[in-house]
Amino acid sequence: MSFSAILGAWIAAFLTLGIFSYLYKDNPFYKIAEHVFVGVSAAYVAAISFWTQIYPNLFGRLFPKDGPLAFTGLEFDFNHEFNILYLFPLILGLMMLISVFQQFSWMARWGIAYTVAIAAGLKAFGYLNSNVLNQVKASSVDLFSGSLPFFSLGGDSVFNNIVLVVGTLSALMYFYFSKEQTGNFGRFTRLGIYFLMVSFGASFGFAVMGRISLLVGRFNDLIDYSSADYNYATLGVLLFIIVTLGIWSFQNPEQKEN
Amino acid sequence: MKFLEDIILKLGAVDRRVIFVLIGLAVLIPLLTPISLPVRETPTTVKFYDGIEDIPKNSKVLVSFDYGPSTRPEIHPMNVGVLRHMLRNGHQIYISCLWPDGIYMALDALEEITDEVNPDNESTFDIKEYEDYILLGYRPGAEAVIKGLASDLRKVYTVDANGNFIDDIEMMDGIKNLNDFAYIYSGSAGYPGTFEWVKYGGDPTGVPMSSGTTSVQVNEVIPYVQTGQLIGLLAGMPGAAEYEKLINVPGIAIQGMAAQSFAHIVIVLFIVFGNLAFFIKQRRDRKY
Amino acid sequence: MLLKRYIPIAIVAFFGALTLSAWFIDNETIETFANDDATQFFDIIAAFAVFLGALNLLKLQFIKVLKQQSGWIYSAIAIASFFFAFIIGFFIRGAYFVGEDVYFSQKAAEAAILGSGSSEVVVPVDWGAHVQTDGSLFQWMFKYIFSPLSATMFALLAFFVASASFRAFRARNFEASLLLVAGIIIMLGRVPIGSLISSWTIMYILAFSIGIGINSYVKNRNVMFGWILGSCGAITGFGMTMGWPIDQPAIFFLPALQEWIYLVPNLAGSRAILIGIGLGIVATSLRYIFGLEKSYLGE
Repeated sequence: MSFSAILGAWIAAFLTLGIFSYLYKDNPFYKIAEHVFVGVSAAYVAAISFWTQIYPNLFGRLFPKDGPLAFTGLEFDFNHEFNILYLFPLILGLMMLISVFQQFSWMARWGIAYTVAIAAGLKAFGYLNSNVLNQVKASSVDLFSGSLPFFSLGGDSVFNNIVLVVGTLSALMYFYFSKEQTGNFGRFTRLGIYFLMVSFGASFGFAVMGRISLLVGRFNDLIDYSSADYNYATLGVLLFIIVTLGIWSFQNPEQKEN
Repeated sequence: MKFLEDIILKLGAVDRRVIFVLIGLAVLIPLLTPISLPVRETPTTVKFYDGIEDIPKNSKVLVSFDYGPSTRPEIHPMNVGVLRHMLRNGHQIYISCLWPDGIYMALDALEEITDEVNPDNESTFDIKEYEDYILLGYRPGAEAVIKGLASDLRKVYTVDANGNFIDDIEMMDGIKNLNDFAYIYSGSAGYPGTFEWVKYGGDPTGVPMSSGTTSVQVNEVIPYVQTGQLIGLLAGMPGAAEYEKLINVPGIAIQGMAAQSFAHIVIVLFIVFGNLAFFIKQRRDRKY
Repeated sequence: MLLKRYIPIAIVAFFGALTLSAWFIDNETIETFANDDATQFFDIIAAFAVFLGALNLLKLQFIKVLKQQSGWIYSAIAIASFFFAFIIGFFIRGAYFVGEDVYFSQKAAEAAILGSGSSEVVVPVDWGAHVQTDGSLFQWMFKYIFSPLSATMFALLAFFVASASFRAFRARNFEASLLLVAGIIIMLGRVPIGSLISSWTIMYILAFSIGIGINSYVKNRNVMFGWILGSCGAITGFGMTMGWPIDQPAIFFLPALQEWIYLVPNLAGSRAILIGIGLGIVATSLRYIFGLEKSYLGE
């Protein structure tokens, strides 16, 4: 194992256990890990965004090899042709950066407006097509052809199709607030709530499942780092954190009571 | 009876750190002493497997790594499995990323399937960059990136992740946009991911696609499976384990299933105990 | 007013309408611009937005340090971490190839060549590719600093989900009970252990639960015991005649039951939510384009 990998494992083990130490109580180890996370992730995402987008796709288009702006000494060869239109996102982008100063805070609005515009134009169609039309189409299911069994737990059946249609309609009706939900309409939307509740229950089950999977992943890494290859990084760091936290709570008993 | 009720009430008021320790142990112990439990394939996973089997052999497929380390335990085994499955069927793989970390996930996955190549074993492969796969890399912009890929891939990517010109790469010949792929797969952890691929990639172009998602996302995505907008679905780590079983390369997801199972049992017991304590307390409050 | 208000509204109206129309209009110029260049502009501006976020973060943390507010020392750590990662990302290539091997620095690479006596030359990675290269310093930072932090932050929630389900997940009424039961069935049915729980066990548990339910409803212990004895007897009888198959009757077998709940009633609810969200977003998007919705101006 190389020195950089062993050092990395010790750092990773410290940061991982530092965050887990929050389960005992809020403490400096957790705070350190949390703030390292904030700082590193901001710079990390900035670096990736710059090198994968601004550098090739903006600079590459404004300052291509042998382009009209080559006299500036800036040349970035990404096989792009010079495109003057790309001054527009550059200006909007720079305005965004300037907006960090309080008196120019309005400058970010142009860039935000542009992203809102594109998102709205894309989403209006995307959601209509994929979430509404396709889903409505799929809700018109086979009930009467006679080719399906009446009930089947694991596959298509008339009963399942009825439940699907009634469930979708009643749950959708529950979101319809222009009419008071009383009488027969109220009973129908009540049925809709039951379907939504089953759906939320399933979501809860899946959420638990997901979180546990992530914990499995973390523990797997910690187990890896506790091997001799990494000089027992996990165990060393664990011992250090436990002893330090123990000493701290021994020295500040009043905090323990809190 | 009263004695039993008192015990339940006492357990109901236990310090939450006790719960933390129990859940930690429920996950840790099965990982340290592996127990093998039978994995049972669910229909959506089988559909997913069949969907990939149905791609004509030696096709060009797009695999998107739309996740990062935070959800790696769930999605990574799926993507590794998908790469194996696709390479077995002779497909050429084009890797894109909508998440900045996706590129590292892809590099790790490639390392995993090329490490110690054993020709008798269909879990590792002797593959070459620019012949069997290409790393297009990450581009920020979420749905706008997909929309761009659907129209003209070469405007989004003029260079690949290594900085080489796309136009100079032979493997890219004949690829203008998403329509030139036989299949799209996204290993997705949220936004941007499955939803965006369906809306701006799969649906508008009609290229068959499927996805592996985190458990948290499954319930939102499942309607797309019934409509056929997605051909099957891998749902969280259990979905990954089922897929590992189908492609016959047991991996980290199957290993994690015992821990997953025990943790679920512990949480269900928590819920049952919590409710028992709740009902007992409610009844006693009513009495007095 | 013009700069701060009208121009942003005009930008949204113009580019929103243009992007939307490109889905419907068969005009190559509009389509090419909307699909390729307009989306590229979006991607570039999104990248600048990331920088804005980083600048704002730095501003806040610097203020904390300068004013020595409580916890300023941690803000200093955040700033130091930012510059640490920033320098690695922007000023250090961090990947020098010697054949297949990668080294963090030119020196290390040259030393490796000297050590092995090979005739290879050191090839530094291209700027830009250095953040996407296996074995680079940037990847080291990703693997050992960013990854564990981001993954553990999410994994921490497992503990809180467990604790919350113990404390807050109560069957207070019929709706809450539905939620609870659906959740439990999904949780057990989708993992391997669910297929080890026999459908007969579930039937016995159900018989007992219904008995307890009867007791709290009619308040008569005799009726409860009668029900439990009768139903358990019936289940045992059926079990003995059928030979206790673990997955029969399928409706009480958790993996099968889970699958039905997941793909039928749950799907109906999820689809209604999906359609509802779809309609909502379409309406909101149109409101943005028509200038009726101006929340992005911070008003």
